[in-house]
Amino acid sequence: MIITLVLVVVAFLVLGFLIKLARGHSASFEALEDPTQHIRAVDVDAFRNLVDPDEEEFLRANLPRAEFRKIQRERLRAAVEYVSCAAQNAAILLRLADAGRRSSDPATAEAAEKLVDNAIRLRLYASLAISRLYLGMILPGAHISPVRVAESYEQMTRLVVLLGCLQYPTRGISAAL
Amino acid sequence: MQPLLRPLFYYLWTAPHILQAVIVVLMIRRRLYRQFPVFLLYTVYELLQFTILLAVFIHFGSLSDDEYRGAFLVGDAISSVLRFGVIYEIFVEVFRNYDALSELSKVLFRCATVTLLLIGVALAGSHGSGADGFLLVVPILERTVRLMQCGLLVFLFLFSRYFALSWRNCAFGIALGFGILATMELADYAIRSQIGVGSYLLDYLGMATYHCCVLTWIFYLVAPEPRTYRMQKKLPEHDLEVWNEELQRLLQQ
Repeated sequence: MIITLVLVVVAFLVLGFLIKLARGHSASFEALEDPTQHIRAVDVDAFRNLVDPDEEEFLRANLPRAEFRKIQRERLRAAVEYVSCAAQNAAILLRLADAGRRSSDPATAEAAEKLVDNAIRLRLYASLAISRLYLGMILPGAHISPVRVAESYEQMTRLVVLLGCLQYPTRGISAAL
Repeated sequence: MQPLLRPLFYYLWTAPHILQAVIVVLMIRRRLYRQFPVFLLYTVYELLQFTILLAVFIHFGSLSDDEYRGAFLVGDAISSVLRFGVIYEIFVEVFRNYDALSELSKVLFRCATVTLLLIGVALAGSHGSGADGFLLVVPILERTVRLMQCGLLVFLFLFSRYFALSWRNCAFGIALGFGILATMELADYAIRSQIGVGSYLLDYLGMATYHCCVLTWIFYLVAPEPRTYRMQKKLPEHDLEVWNEELQRLLQQ
């Protein structure tokens, strides 16, 4: 009886999720009327500093153990925020690049293709990096080095600028990048 | 069956299948059979099954229990296999344009299928006590299949949503329709496996759900594709500095 109830509840929850998806399907395109409003600032250097092992070692050597753990957690929480921002930006840029892929100009289409690959890779790395950062919060001594996310983000930023140049020669994408 | 509900029964039985004929025509006219051949096959199969059952019904008036059960089991088994085929077809269609994800999605699809199968088998032991073995075993099997279909579609939606992948209207509509169908049938068969007997209310609900799903498919097949994004707004002046910096860096590579 309990399993039946659970399955019925799950079924209705899934139905609600599907209805929400259907409503959002058309709205998701409208939300990109002005992508710059949705792109958030990501300071790659600050992120690198937050996950820098040398910085971590320095703090470990110069701070009392309890304080180090507290500060390290704060640093990693901030790093998660940065990665989440970068991942969100990647999602928006992915939509932009999707549109660019259909361009009749081969250069635009190629740049868009690269941007799509980079954005997807970033989303993948971001999910892994966030897991590792959370693990680092639980075990502050663990070695964390999601620098690959930063590199991927920088690469993607360059690509989006190139894509923007090719698609809209007189306009920009965002200062936030 | 109450005489008052008889017209509703005939409507819910025939209307979705007539509309499925419209789907076949739409798919052929819009050449969608190239992208979704299994969905077309499924639609044609459902239409054919309905036509045969209607012919039998008109000719003989009704079917005996054994004949009905035989036809139901064979028909439903083929339909379920085709539905899995359609789900896989949507998977392929959604990830077709994303090289970075195509291999990963296939691996995850297989993992999700095995996981859901194991969950379904584990839950198969839980059922109510019915007098009729057929009315007890079939809902449990159906429940397992629907659980898998429902889970696969939710996985597909969540996975593509995480990566912000864009869906074509028809792929989204087909997936949505099957999602609604699998979800409602999961609840339906979960209740049937518990009560162990047939229910007119559940029959009507099932037919009405199928009707809604067919309408969903038609809606998304007819609906125009969302317009391609175009940036309208000019950016603030200071953006140009970033442009220049980034372009310089790009040229130096």
